[in-house]
Amino acid sequence: MYYMLASDTSARATEPFQFARAAAPTTRRGASFMVDGMGFGYRPGRDIFRNVTLKARPGEFVALLGPSGCGKTTLLNLLSGFLAPHAGTVTIDGRAVRPEMSELGYVFQAPNLFPWLSVRENVRFGLRMAGQLDPDEQRRKALQYLDLVGLSDVADELPNRLSGGMQQRVALARALVLEPSLLLMDEPFAALDAITRSAMNAELLRLWSTLGQTILFITHDVEEAVFLADRVLVLGFPPHGLDSEVTIDLPRPRDLRRTRVLPGFAELCDTLLQRIAGVMQARSTPASFVEQESVQ
Amino acid sequence: MRMPKPSWGWASLPALLLVRCMAASRVPPYVLPQPWDVAIEALRWIRSGDLGRQVGASLAREAGGFAMAVLVALAIGTAGGLSQRFRAFASPLVSLFMAIPPIAWAPLCLIFFGLGYLAIAVVIFVAAVFPMAVTIQEGVLGIVAGQVRAARTLGASPVQLLRHVYLPASLPFVTAALRIGFSQAWRALVAAEMIGASQGIGWMVAMGGQVGNASQVLLGIVLIGLIAWLAESLVFRRVERRYQAWRTP
Repeated sequence: MYYMLASDTSARATEPFQFARAAAPTTRRGASFMVDGMGFGYRPGRDIFRNVTLKARPGEFVALLGPSGCGKTTLLNLLSGFLAPHAGTVTIDGRAVRPEMSELGYVFQAPNLFPWLSVRENVRFGLRMAGQLDPDEQRRKALQYLDLVGLSDVADELPNRLSGGMQQRVALARALVLEPSLLLMDEPFAALDAITRSAMNAELLRLWSTLGQTILFITHDVEEAVFLADRVLVLGFPPHGLDSEVTIDLPRPRDLRRTRVLPGFAELCDTLLQRIAGVMQARSTPASFVEQESVQ
Repeated sequence: MRMPKPSWGWASLPALLLVRCMAASRVPPYVLPQPWDVAIEALRWIRSGDLGRQVGASLAREAGGFAMAVLVALAIGTAGGLSQRFRAFASPLVSLFMAIPPIAWAPLCLIFFGLGYLAIAVVIFVAAVFPMAVTIQEGVLGIVAGQVRAARTLGASPVQLLRHVYLPASLPFVTAALRIGFSQAWRALVAAEMIGASQGIGWMVAMGGQVGNASQVLLGIVLIGLIAWLAESLVFRRVERRYQAWRTP
């Protein structure tokens, strides 16, 4: 795990990196993601989202930042097609999104590994469902992606023998092995301790720079959003949808030690914190008003 | 792997036998026969071929009633696990039937189906089906929604979900349900045979009591315990052990 924290390149760090370049050159692709005029509510007249529009360019890293209670779970269900919007569209490369579509990769807040399958078989799961490669090829590819997240040496273990951080890396490999062009990540590292978490952030940026998917990353951590993303969208409370967006113009490649001490880093964090404070305040004033409205 | 702790479990059965021999030496053999008297009785039953016939009759009833109970419990349990409405509808009924000792149904079954295989099999069915249905329902409820969602985003079709997520996830609790159901069925079987059967291990015990053959009663009791123990340790525990690795966090 330590090699991910180090900014110099140890033998273990370069090896999977070179492999990925050599073996998966065609996966350097990202989808364009588009949410157009989306509206949704569980009950009629009580919209959670109204006219939400959001675009991600191919290969862009977009972070969605929101205080808890702003409807993140619902938004994710809409973005991944588990829920259908009442108005507007959600599309990946122009096609309406469905959870099963091969363009979409999803990393959940919990690893959600299949406990009865070995680590390698977990990663192989999607390939098995697709059934396009023969079993040997599937196993080989699963192992390659495990190598990519630095876990090929635990391939034959059961998931419950792994730490939380390792399980989440397996979940990442399991999504990546299908080479999705859009990766949806729902606070994937929120349950991890701070050290593992920043290591995972660096790891994710390394994988992204190699594989080049479009990433939508949901988080409630301002620093994490600034460190990772090209652009941060701040979520408002229902029925506002998106509140504002901030472009993160910090140079890449980003580094755990150097990026965080850049003067721009603290500034961007501060800007975002102000936006969130604004969102919270906007909620606290009309909240009583909204409640009165619902009583009538 | 850690060493298994020394266990005194092996000593309990010899200790029981010893106490029993001591007790038997103080009373006439027709009240409490010695183990060797029971062994001689067993030999007599085996020689005549009667033992096989009685055990066979009991096992055939157990198999029939238990198999039906498994099928119905799978249906009720799965439906209850998946549909909140069905669960709300069925759970008072299941609780009601669980509260009634299955043997209480035996006289009614005998009136209804007459003396024979069917009456006893129905009692077994009633005894096994409800505990199994409850266990299966709890298991289906416990299947992690996140795993199902993950499988869907990995491209699993509805059929593949059933085959590759629901089925493997449900094997441990289905096995547990089978174990519980089998032992419930076995208890009910012996009791029902004592009330209304002309053969079987339960009948053996009841008959022995009526004619005053204590050796025959004890032989029957030993058989009942032995078969239950064999099913438990040779079949169900072994299957369950296969899931231990991934079920424990």
